[in-house]
Amino acid sequence: MKALMLTGGAGRNLVPFSSTRPKAMTVVAGGSLMRRTLSHLREVGVTDVTVVIGQNGEKVTGTFKDGQEIGLSLSYVEQQRPGGIADAILRARTRFIPGEYFILVYGDVVTSANPFHQALQSFNSFKAPIAAVCLPGPPTARYGNVYLDGTRITRIVEKPTTAGLGNYVLAGVFVLPVEVFPLVEKSGGDMEQVFAQLVRAPGLHASIWEEGWIDVEYPWDILAANRMVMDTWEEARISRYATIDGNVTFTGPVRVEPGSVIKAGAVLAGPCYIGRNCYVGNNVLVRSYSSLGAASSIGYGVELKNCVLFGNSKIGRLSFVGDSVIGDNVDIGSGTMTINENMDHTPVAVSVRGEPVNSGLVKLGGFIGDDVKVGAGNTLAAGTVLPPGTSVPHHATVSGR
Amino acid sequence: MCGISGVASFHPIGDRLYEGVRHLEYRGYDSCGVAFVNDHHIEVRKDIGTVDEVDSKEHIRALNALVGIAHTRWATHGKVTRENAHPHQACHGEFAVVHNGIIANYKALRAELQKTGHRFRSDTDTEIIAHLLEQRFKDTGDIERAWVSALRALEGSYALAMISIHDTERIFCARHESPLIIGVGSESNYVGSDFNAFIDYTKSTVILEDGEYGIVSKDSYCVKRLRTGELVDKEITVVPWDSELSRKGGYPHYMLKEIHEQPQAVRSALSIGDDEIAAVADMVAAARRVHLLGVGTTYYVALLGQYLMASIADMDVPAVSSDEFRHLDKSDRESLVLAVSQSGETYDTVMSLRHAKERGATTAAIVNVMGSSIARMVDRVILQGSGPEVCVVSTKAALVQMVLLARLAIELGARRGVLSAAARREHEAALAALPGQIETILNEKSGLIRAAAYRHAHVANWLFLGRGVYYPIALEAALKMKEVTYVHAEGMPGGFLKHGTLSLVDDKLYTLVFVPPPASADLHAATMSSVEEVKARGGFVFGFSFDDTDDIFNEHLVLTAGHEVTAPFLPLVCAQLLAYFTATALKRNVDKPRSLAKSVTVA
Repeated sequence: MKALMLTGGAGRNLVPFSSTRPKAMTVVAGGSLMRRTLSHLREVGVTDVTVVIGQNGEKVTGTFKDGQEIGLSLSYVEQQRPGGIADAILRARTRFIPGEYFILVYGDVVTSANPFHQALQSFNSFKAPIAAVCLPGPPTARYGNVYLDGTRITRIVEKPTTAGLGNYVLAGVFVLPVEVFPLVEKSGGDMEQVFAQLVRAPGLHASIWEEGWIDVEYPWDILAANRMVMDTWEEARISRYATIDGNVTFTGPVRVEPGSVIKAGAVLAGPCYIGRNCYVGNNVLVRSYSSLGAASSIGYGVELKNCVLFGNSKIGRLSFVGDSVIGDNVDIGSGTMTINENMDHTPVAVSVRGEPVNSGLVKLGGFIGDDVKVGAGNTLAAGTVLPPGTSVPHHATVSGR
Repeated sequence: MCGISGVASFHPIGDRLYEGVRHLEYRGYDSCGVAFVNDHHIEVRKDIGTVDEVDSKEHIRALNALVGIAHTRWATHGKVTRENAHPHQACHGEFAVVHNGIIANYKALRAELQKTGHRFRSDTDTEIIAHLLEQRFKDTGDIERAWVSALRALEGSYALAMISIHDTERIFCARHESPLIIGVGSESNYVGSDFNAFIDYTKSTVILEDGEYGIVSKDSYCVKRLRTGELVDKEITVVPWDSELSRKGGYPHYMLKEIHEQPQAVRSALSIGDDEIAAVADMVAAARRVHLLGVGTTYYVALLGQYLMASIADMDVPAVSSDEFRHLDKSDRESLVLAVSQSGETYDTVMSLRHAKERGATTAAIVNVMGSSIARMVDRVILQGSGPEVCVVSTKAALVQMVLLARLAIELGARRGVLSAAARREHEAALAALPGQIETILNEKSGLIRAAAYRHAHVANWLFLGRGVYYPIALEAALKMKEVTYVHAEGMPGGFLKHGTLSLVDDKLYTLVFVPPPASADLHAATMSSVEEVKARGGFVFGFSFDDTDDIFNEHLVLTAGHEVTAPFLPLVCAQLLAYFTATALKRNVDKPRSLAKSVTVA
């Protein structure tokens, strides 16, 4: 079976990361969402994946190229403008053989286990179009409501008006017949409309996903997804090609990749992830749910807690980074503090496209875009967002909303 | 729905034929049979009952044959008799056929064949296919031409498998609007209604399409077009999962599947004939004393039955747990014992019924599994027809049993003049609306219940409170929670609190309260006073209620009120979901909880 992956969405709520990368290239637990999805596809025997790319699509093509490194044959179709998904999908059409089924997957979805196993099982039971559905954590109005009769989807309510419902929602994984392409054309690329049409005829079956599922929409969703993936880790994996000094403490499922150096006095509490060629200085405390992308450098005495570093970043000595996400190639000066709670313990708000959005989280630090430089001795308020390329002078206090 | 399996192999096939149909039993299981080639003639072994029962009589597993077909039947038309069981043969036993589907033009074909001297043994449409084959073979002298010619004469839907003495090495199969697939193994090939028939032996399959037929032998297979006879180049599909998972059809666990099957299961229970309910009502009316029996979940079903009988039919029908019944049994010729059992094999219930029978009592039962021990031993049985229940934790079977007891209570209430004709109609309308109400809960409340379950998965001790008819609901809900999550949950009537249990209550003990609709004013007030008692001691109270103005709860799930008869079933469905999601949050083995078995056939 072949697969079609959509990564062209603008993802504008995922500040400040979406302006420099597609959502699918955000990183959790040491790997991009896309890498995770592609390896899940490979596990179920998919060999050919067509990827629809949009803005910053070169981040995708530059990373995965023809797919050889990950064991897949990848081809790309460019979505010319946001919302131009129909054109892109239709140009992908020639790569699929009429009469066959294919897997459709959204690039911004993270699951705690391989969702394609179950979707294909369901497909093989019903030999009919399949949509994976799940119950998102707390009910929200972000998704359309799916109504089921057994596993048959009877209707999809796009913008539910009744509040307080806890319906299943589409999980972004589908098995569809190639004959769906004309429907995409007719609907102008409105996928919700396509599914509504499928529900009417020939019918859409639900495959109920009961494992973890997160749709990465807001920046704090990265932390939740990171935690969800790390919670599936059961054992420590320390590469034999890592250099580990004496007097380093590991507890729980710690992962250390080849080429990393961990200096004496460091304490690493799993689950946590140290990518390739990282440097973890003396007396660094890496607390659980911290993920350090490749070539991160952590100076003396730094404390990291529940944070994701995409990679190639430096954290200067004696800093604290907690409940925060740090983009690629960020330089944080020594003695920098992310504040990760409000004084009154109310949930932290984050400015998203000019509007404060309540994250619902009492503990939340900052979100620092790619190529940011933060001078030494800074304090970043809870919920700070620093756009890519920002430069913060020494000794400034930043609220960054 | 019926299930077909077939094997052609270099090695004896008895085991695989047996396992094949056994795994298809979920498609139906009222009778089963096999046909195989034995020394150049065809032998058929079939009977009514489950695959295991037929095997114990007919020794399917011990077969020494190398080519054979098998069938498990779920009668939709035509009675459940040995004659009507598949495989079917023609006059001279040269062909044996198994079939899933409905032949639309079978009457015309039958009349035609009768004219040429064919004599029919069964009432089924399948038998005509065997005769048709025999006739066409006589005309053509070639087995494949006879097969094609017979298939072309058939109208309607079919999945077919056939063996013949004229070609003892091969199985012929075909499909039209009913599923059939071929399994490609090493030194063996298979046919089956779906993957389950052979997934333990091969994961390579060839899927037949409508208008195609296949010929399968031990070392090869081919697929041809019925219309043109040309070979079809079929791709082999590899099934990437293990056999256990493939039967869940879109659900992560059988428990969730069975919870979601409840609307359909209740609909089937409501379509059971009034005469069947009336027959048991006759027995209840005729008896001087009646006991309701069950154990575990079914005891709580029986207890709910006792409340329904009291409130709807104004009758005193005590429920007794069947593991204790023997110690209390004073039944005589004027007694009726009405047992409830999903499997129909429950040891304690079987023993209690036997005990009561020895004392001369009349017996009746509500049972899910047709042909089971209890179904056979009682004087009258209502088969609930809820379909196979695989998860050890009973959900749909229990709910359907409750619905059937409600129907019985309504029937008795009407007879005894407690229910007016109008009230009866109103009660029956309420039951008819129940499947839709359950669907609404499954669709619109699942997410809320899952979120609550994940929030409270850490809780070590639960108290489940209910009063009146909500008391057995609380007991049953607590049992669901216990068995699937391994979390302590205790069902209790609200009135018990101040007689001891209240001293347990602190901020670590969580309480789930089943609040009746405000329309049941007294019960509602009494239940809410229990809530106050718990709240006053700092306990956390989760309320399942029908009134969003009950704002006293720490966590609140509001349901849309139904009729007084069906209202108790709605929070039960929510409690099933709460237990299920708590179990998945705690990563429990949902379908097979530790230490438990589906049907308890031992003391």
